[in-house]
Amino acid sequence: MTSSTPPPPPTTTTATGSAFLSGGGLRQTQTQQQTQSLLDTDAADDPSDPLCLLLRSLVPHVAIHASDDADALVRDKGFAAGLWELLRPFGERVQGKVTVRDSNGAAKAWEDFAVRFVRFGEAVEVPEGEKGGVVGNGNGNGNGLGEGQKEEVIGTVEKVVERHLRFAEEAYGGAGAHSKEEDVDFLDAVDATSPYYALYLRRLLSGIPLACHETFAHPVACVMAISSRNTAPIEALQRLYRETSQGERRLPPWVDQDYLRYYILVHDEENGDIAKSMALFEQMKRNFGLHCHLLRLRSTQSAETDDDSIPLPRSDWMTAAEEMADIEESDTREDFEDPTRYIFESDATAIRTFVREMVTQSVVPTMERNVSVWNDQVASRRRGISGRFMSLSKRFTFGSSGRSSSSTGSSSSSNYDALGFYRADSPEAIMRRLADFAFMLRDWKLAMSTYELLRGDFQNDKAWKYHASANEMAALALLIMPPNMSSKTRIETISQMIEQAFYSYHTRCDSLYGATRCTLLALELLRLRGGAGTDEAVRWGIMMLESRLMGTVGDALLRERMAVCYASKQGAGSQVWGSRRRKSALWSVLGAEAWVAQAKYVQAQKCLRAARGMYARLPGECGVQKFAVASDFLAHLNDQVKAGLRADTGRGGEPRGEEGQDEAETDEESETLGNRRSRRTSLIAPVGVGGGLETAPLNDTERARLAGDNGSDDGFG
Amino acid sequence: MSYYFAIIGTQDNPLFEYEFGTSKQGGDGQARFSEQARHLNQFVLHSSLDIVEEVQWANGQLYLKVIDKFFNNYISCFMTGGNVKFLLLHQPTATAAGATRNSTSVGANPTSPQTEEALKNFFNEVYENYVKAIMSPFYKVNMEIRSPVFRQRVAAAGRKYL
Repeated sequence: MTSSTPPPPPTTTTATGSAFLSGGGLRQTQTQQQTQSLLDTDAADDPSDPLCLLLRSLVPHVAIHASDDADALVRDKGFAAGLWELLRPFGERVQGKVTVRDSNGAAKAWEDFAVRFVRFGEAVEVPEGEKGGVVGNGNGNGNGLGEGQKEEVIGTVEKVVERHLRFAEEAYGGAGAHSKEEDVDFLDAVDATSPYYALYLRRLLSGIPLACHETFAHPVACVMAISSRNTAPIEALQRLYRETSQGERRLPPWVDQDYLRYYILVHDEENGDIAKSMALFEQMKRNFGLHCHLLRLRSTQSAETDDDSIPLPRSDWMTAAEEMADIEESDTREDFEDPTRYIFESDATAIRTFVREMVTQSVVPTMERNVSVWNDQVASRRRGISGRFMSLSKRFTFGSSGRSSSSTGSSSSSNYDALGFYRADSPEAIMRRLADFAFMLRDWKLAMSTYELLRGDFQNDKAWKYHASANEMAALALLIMPPNMSSKTRIETISQMIEQAFYSYHTRCDSLYGATRCTLLALELLRLRGGAGTDEAVRWGIMMLESRLMGTVGDALLRERMAVCYASKQGAGSQVWGSRRRKSALWSVLGAEAWVAQAKYVQAQKCLRAARGMYARLPGECGVQKFAVASDFLAHLNDQVKAGLRADTGRGGEPRGEEGQDEAETDEESETLGNRRSRRTSLIAPVGVGGGLETAPLNDTERARLAGDNGSDDGFG
Repeated sequence: MSYYFAIIGTQDNPLFEYEFGTSKQGGDGQARFSEQARHLNQFVLHSSLDIVEEVQWANGQLYLKVIDKFFNNYISCFMTGGNVKFLLLHQPTATAAGATRNSTSVGANPTSPQTEEALKNFFNEVYENYVKAIMSPFYKVNMEIRSPVFRQRVAAAGRKYL
């Protein structure tokens, strides 16, 4: 993020303000939005904003393949899942700035560069044509995605978010009193992302499967780790290497095998001999080259009470399934255990240094080099005049030395394998990797133009999943990069791409996950583009609702989001013509209706309040109150919400009612209650809202009732 | 095809509301809105005022054609002098079995030229009657129109054109 651009001045578009003033400020922001890359807007800095989520989810993946002794060392520190669990939170934000050169050689420094650590060979998705096949499904960790599991993603995400919502509902009942201080000013909160929506999106985007049609989850590098406890270190490293490149656990043939191998030696600070480790490290460097690191960790477990212990940050990007398992575990177990782990400050520093060094000195340079090589050798040939007329497969037999790709069948001129994927060395696969790398390095222009080429090729080959994905990414890249066409044609082009992606995902491939992800992201970026983009965004939202991609929770969240979409559209002049306040209120009401149907009264109340606020800001200030049926409906809805909230509070008050019976018991009970509550906060905290989510949706009934009374002339009471 | 017609005053207040169904192709002139959609109609119509306010400045005509769509609901608009709007929400029947057969008929395709023409005639006739109705010396701006004669005439126009 360039911090050089000042944030656009806050525009005040109240009806009372001068027409000229507000109009002027408005035009300024609009022109800014229309010439900038989306990355330069403030949306990219807000951690809960969908744009930010998008940028942080599509990052280079680094696989971790540790030897048993290295994992055992980390397990001694209290991390059951081994080295991966320890490293994972540190990849989420690489310390300091990371400088990346784009294809033109211009360097740009990014503050928020991230990598995702994954376990080697995990979450491999089997392509369509290969179902039931045995070809290299790297299920070493027993975690490959089976057929049935694949489409479960949305379902799991729904469940997780539903759980959080239920917590909020219960917390409302249990602790209705301590929320007096937060009184969300509606005018400020109009653009804010609902924490649950952000959570939904985050869980949807985390755990991108290692699929053949997109290479985001393919490892850019693989970390091979051994510890100083190993008696035959070099052999162990060689064995690890062999495991990744051949045999049972190697990745399937659509994954490029030439990813970077990075070797680390985990030194045990307390039991190991540093001189020995240093010598070994020197030897490693001689054998394996420069991509090596000596990671010095203490092998004992750190406790909260230690002087120099810091809590290990919880990973923001755990997958929905993991979080679900977490929640279920904590629900079933009676004894409460704090899930927070602690590590020594020195360990944290060592790991941070390691991650930074690996990213800046190995991962990013490798990616840059790959991008430029592939760009020269494969993509630029296509960009020439003659290349435009022919698809890749027809023109090049690529590497006439007779590669294994000749096995694709002599009659067909296409590289699209009968099994349903492109092999990793086919030019299409390489171009796709090039585009994805460019996307991850934020070289939008290169990414966009490459996706553009691929779109056509995949369509000719009828490789629909590839086609969908290329369209999706082309649309996203086009939305992010600074626009150069007039906005009207742009939006039309983008809409076409999204349409094709949606159709290919949804109808041709039956991939609900792909369709949902594609539409949601496009919708968010269109919203940020503003102007006509807002209407387009809502059109896509309606499309999603119509095709019932998501479950009830997602449906309600999306309705809420439509309201935000419309609310963020700005009008012109003192009468703010062109704004969409009534529409926004309509969607808020629809959202409230959906929440009430699910008995999520806290959320419903928020929606109703948003609707009321929007109606109050209309020039007439009376909303729908003059429409008899509609205002009756609103009043009814409001009553339902109030009744529901009262019931919540009643339920929460129960334990306090027993107070007279047994003093000690009640004490114990309230203590566990308190514990539970703190645990919930810790669960929800990674959502990215500053003030802790638990308090956010809360409101005391007293005020709700007051608001209801005041608002009675709005047709709500 | 079901219709919900409303005249909206300057303060977003409805001056007149009328629900009816198509009388063409053997329709009985009854609205077929589902019970739970009736409040929604009002919400949708109200929210379309946002679009009206935007479109009215870009178009010199009084009849603005279809300005908005919400799921299966289409909204047509006719501006009168004095910032009073006629809005008509039309909802093609979900089981549009005849959609392919009589795609030129008024009911099936809300954006076809035939439909547009029919709506225009309807609006024009209602407008004439509206002007006559508000010429009543007892009528004030933004007052609800209660005249039964006006209601009859709107119904007649609906039967005639839609």
